[in-house]
Amino acid sequence: MDLTPREEVESPEDVRRRIHRKRRWAILALSVLLVVVVAFVTAQGLRNATLFFRNVDEAVAQRSELQERRFRIQGRVIPSTVRNESGITVFEIVHNCAVAEIRHSGDPPELFESPWIPVVLEGKWSEGTVQTLAGSDSHYFFSDRMLVKHTNEYASANEERISEALPDGFLEECAFDDLASQS
Amino acid sequence: MTSAKGRSVKMTATPFTRALGFLALAAVAVMALLGLVVSPPDVVQGEAVRMLYLHVPAIWIAYGSFAVTSVSSLLFLRRGKRREDKGRHYDRLGGAAAEVGVLFTGVTLITGMLWGKVTWGTYWQWDARLTTTVLLFVTYLGYLALRRLPADPVVRGRRAAIMALISFINVPIVHYSVDWWRTLHQKASLSVGRRPEITGEMYWTLLYSAVAVTFVAVWLVTHRYRVIRLEEIRDEEMLTALISQRVSQDLPPVSDGDFDE
Repeated sequence: MDLTPREEVESPEDVRRRIHRKRRWAILALSVLLVVVVAFVTAQGLRNATLFFRNVDEAVAQRSELQERRFRIQGRVIPSTVRNESGITVFEIVHNCAVAEIRHSGDPPELFESPWIPVVLEGKWSEGTVQTLAGSDSHYFFSDRMLVKHTNEYASANEERISEALPDGFLEECAFDDLASQS
Repeated sequence: MTSAKGRSVKMTATPFTRALGFLALAAVAVMALLGLVVSPPDVVQGEAVRMLYLHVPAIWIAYGSFAVTSVSSLLFLRRGKRREDKGRHYDRLGGAAAEVGVLFTGVTLITGMLWGKVTWGTYWQWDARLTTTVLLFVTYLGYLALRRLPADPVVRGRRAAIMALISFINVPIVHYSVDWWRTLHQKASLSVGRRPEITGEMYWTLLYSAVAVTFVAVWLVTHRYRVIRLEEIRDEEMLTALISQRVSQDLPPVSDGDFDE
């Protein structure tokens, strides 16, 4: 063992600084790691949340990809199409001039009865020829969960709300005119 | 004030905070009157719309409180070393505001769930707005937990300040989540530069409620700040008493073994 005194002895202040510097880097590295982990978890969580629903036009366009997969579809309920067939609520929803027939099992939420209310339905495409206001369709959407997506518009019950009919320009460019006349 | 046993009792109230408390109470009473009686039911949602007057101001106050926490934390980190008290008052203000922010985020979540059941037809859905809001609640709860960990007050304050600044990143994400992603939650009720889509009485009731809830929040933050300070004084006095007790009894210095049990 070499017991010769060292020529250069680190002062306690230098030792403290060295340890402090090392600790600072460790804390910084840990913080970065924590931020990365939180960001990753959040991104994973939001991936589902951000694809919360597909609008009717997207769901129709992606029909071949979606096949039997469960997903959420969003559109406004066309008031004149709502009917009950042996406990199944049948109606049509529209978004960006695309129309889908919905067959919903279960009780719809209370606000479903409001005209042109936007709804989000959870279920899947099913094969079956149906006649919608936009023409003949080879599929309908079978849903077992309905959520009402109310808007950020609020008006007194005593007033005539503009959106109670239909939002401006909602059906202006659609090829089918029947809908506008029913608003 | 002096207690029955003759000990000095420190209070958190002053004439100003008492006046503020009464003002807040009166403002909330008027808010209840406007929200529950004067304002009309909504054409679609009916009576359920009254939840708006608590739900929306609650999250605004939460955003504001977290902003105060962030600014205080920044000042604590930047200016703390220069001051005699190491900037502890910034740390206290940050902590008090975060407590109130967490409280109002909780109120937002609870009122939102109740409102959601009536309107959406469900208490909860993992959409972007709801997910980010619950994350906000949890991260600031973590911040409050960090403040309670045993450590040197200045070191603990510094750690908490860094966490507060990191946590605040989520506030704009929560607010804009309804614009950035598709959500079940509706878009913001009021936005700068956009015509409000709320009719007269409802609009003014909402704005009034925001003012009333602000009074409550300021009153709470003031008291919580003072309670935190009193806790610090209690700890300091307890430590001083212990040291003088040791000195008077001529006991050996405190060693690690004293804390084994």
